Amino acid sequence: MAAPPLSAAPERWVSLETTAQGDVLRLAGHWRLSSLASIEAGLSALPAVRPLAGVDGAALASLDTAGALTLLRHLRRRGLDPAGVDYGSFADEHRRVVAVTLKRLPPAEARAPRRARNALTALGAWASELSVLLAGHLGFLGAVAAGLGASLLSPRRLRLRELAAQFRHTTLTALPVVSLVTFLIGVVFAYLLGQQAQRYGAGIFVVDGVALGIAREFSPIIVAVIVAGRSGAAFTAQLGTMRLTEETDAIRVLGLSPMDVLVLPRVLALVAGLPLLVFAGNVMGNLGAMAMTATNLGIPPPVYVERLHIALAPRHFIVGLVKAPVFALFIAVIGIRMGMSVPRDTRAIGISTTSTVVQGIVCVILLDAFFAVLFQELDI
Amino acid sequence: MDGPVIEVRDVHTRFGREAVHRGVSFHVGRGELVALIGGSGTGKSVMLREMIGLLRPSAGTLRVLGTDVWNCTPAQLRSLRRRIGVMFQDGALFSSLDVAHNVAVPLFENTRLPPELVWPLVELRIALAGLPPEAGGKMPSELSGGMRKRAAIARALALEPEILFLDEPGSGLDPVTARAFDQLMRFLASDLGITVFLVTHDLDTLLGVADRVIVLSQGRVLADGPVASVIGTDDPWVRAYFGARTTIAAEASHGA
Repeated sequence: MAAPPLSAAPERWVSLETTAQGDVLRLAGHWRLSSLASIEAGLSALPAVRPLAGVDGAALASLDTAGALTLLRHLRRRGLDPAGVDYGSFADEHRRVVAVTLKRLPPAEARAPRRARNALTALGAWASELSVLLAGHLGFLGAVAAGLGASLLSPRRLRLRELAAQFRHTTLTALPVVSLVTFLIGVVFAYLLGQQAQRYGAGIFVVDGVALGIAREFSPIIVAVIVAGRSGAAFTAQLGTMRLTEETDAIRVLGLSPMDVLVLPRVLALVAGLPLLVFAGNVMGNLGAMAMTATNLGIPPPVYVERLHIALAPRHFIVGLVKAPVFALFIAVIGIRMGMSVPRDTRAIGISTTSTVVQGIVCVILLDAFFAVLFQELDI
Repeated sequence: MDGPVIEVRDVHTRFGREAVHRGVSFHVGRGELVALIGGSGTGKSVMLREMIGLLRPSAGTLRVLGTDVWNCTPAQLRSLRRRIGVMFQDGALFSSLDVAHNVAVPLFENTRLPPELVWPLVELRIALAGLPPEAGGKMPSELSGGMRKRAAIARALALEPEILFLDEPGSGLDPVTARAFDQLMRFLASDLGITVFLVTHDLDTLLGVADRVIVLSQGRVLADGPVASVIGTDDPWVRAYFGARTTIAAEASHGA
């Protein structure tokens, strides 16, 4: 056969021999996975004028299942039933590989492409998932409320040790980061207010602004966001892992209630701890502002404190502290429920933890907006 | 025939003060189906991890397909790893990918094959591992233990390995599934000529399909040979191990 030199390479794998019955595929070389692309190119370069009559594998040096698959698929493409072809010319071990592959030959039709969702379907699916999630959260909130009620009736069910441990994890260990962040917020806030106030010679009113802002909004929100990231994520990861290792099932089977052992201590620890952290945030925020006003605005700390007494009515301070336990309840409920409903595979924990943090932060902001309207209406 | 495909010579492994291997040596020939057995804590899985280059032995050499696993260049190790397949105990499938994509990972990463060649190959691997075609679209979390192991085999087979390493293939499977799995391993060794090296506890696997059994005990190879000859070893552990089965058989026939 006179082939042009450029197409000589495919001939290494396969050539056509014309016989009276039709064309015969003559295979040669190592039909292995590593050369599959080149073999496939060789096959598709063959002219397909005359019908294919058979295969001659006598010259094959080696054949693996990938090579056999390529051959069989080519035969099928050329309109030959691969099962009806005579592989008698193949060496024994090659014939065995062909037989093995033939028995498991994937059906001819192409793999069904994944059904792509269009934007509208995706939006609908997302919305229905979200509504299921929120309904679940609401149900869990109810269960937690019932659990709290039950443990009020029989306080012995309360796990004090677990509660103390959770309090330590969620509150005490959060103190340094909460203090640092709120201190810096106080500094920045006082600086920005000071820039404006100084122009009007109203430097002393910086204290009013800082004290009110920190106590009513900044400290509760910022502390809650930090805790949602820290403790909410921790709850989901801990409980999700426990669910994966069947620890929560073990708790149930041992006759204990996951509500008493796992859920309530976490909820109570956070509900008790967050107001304390907000209080710490108030103190640190004002200290930060005090540091700034003392150095930049010439307001010495005693003057700052004196002004603070006048500016910060107790109700502002209480507003901030009242919001904290509500934030805490929602953060805890989200974190715990996301953990306890993690699907049983390792990837899911990461996804659920991320989702917990996002939900926690969004929830805190929404609640805060709700409180803002509420307090406005109540004139507090 | 060519020389051994696995050559373990005088391997010592210590964890802190505890010596797990104190001079382990054995060979595996091409196309053999060899089982490594031993009591818990005798370092079977440790040996497997050393052979596939995950854990460095304290001393000794391990040659796999002629490559000294712990004394070669990273490029040599990479090319060795393309020639072996490993099935971990619980499958170790990538949980974010469905079965077909799990099997496709080594093909896409190690070859330049276009997708239209890869997907038929993936389907063939899935079929070779004894899974139904629709298993390809399932996520690992949707599979039973036995199917997860088969999917792991399909992934291990992706690159046509010359050696297949399996860690406890029968663990966590019911006896019927486990026997089907034995047949799968036998088929891979006999019909595809793959060398199969497995770590197991399963007596039926040994008696049913293994060509050769290597017994690890107290840090050494206690016995090495066909099952029939290993059973005769005069050692309390080996007697107790194979005795467990004869006892069951005896009790069953006694009861009948």
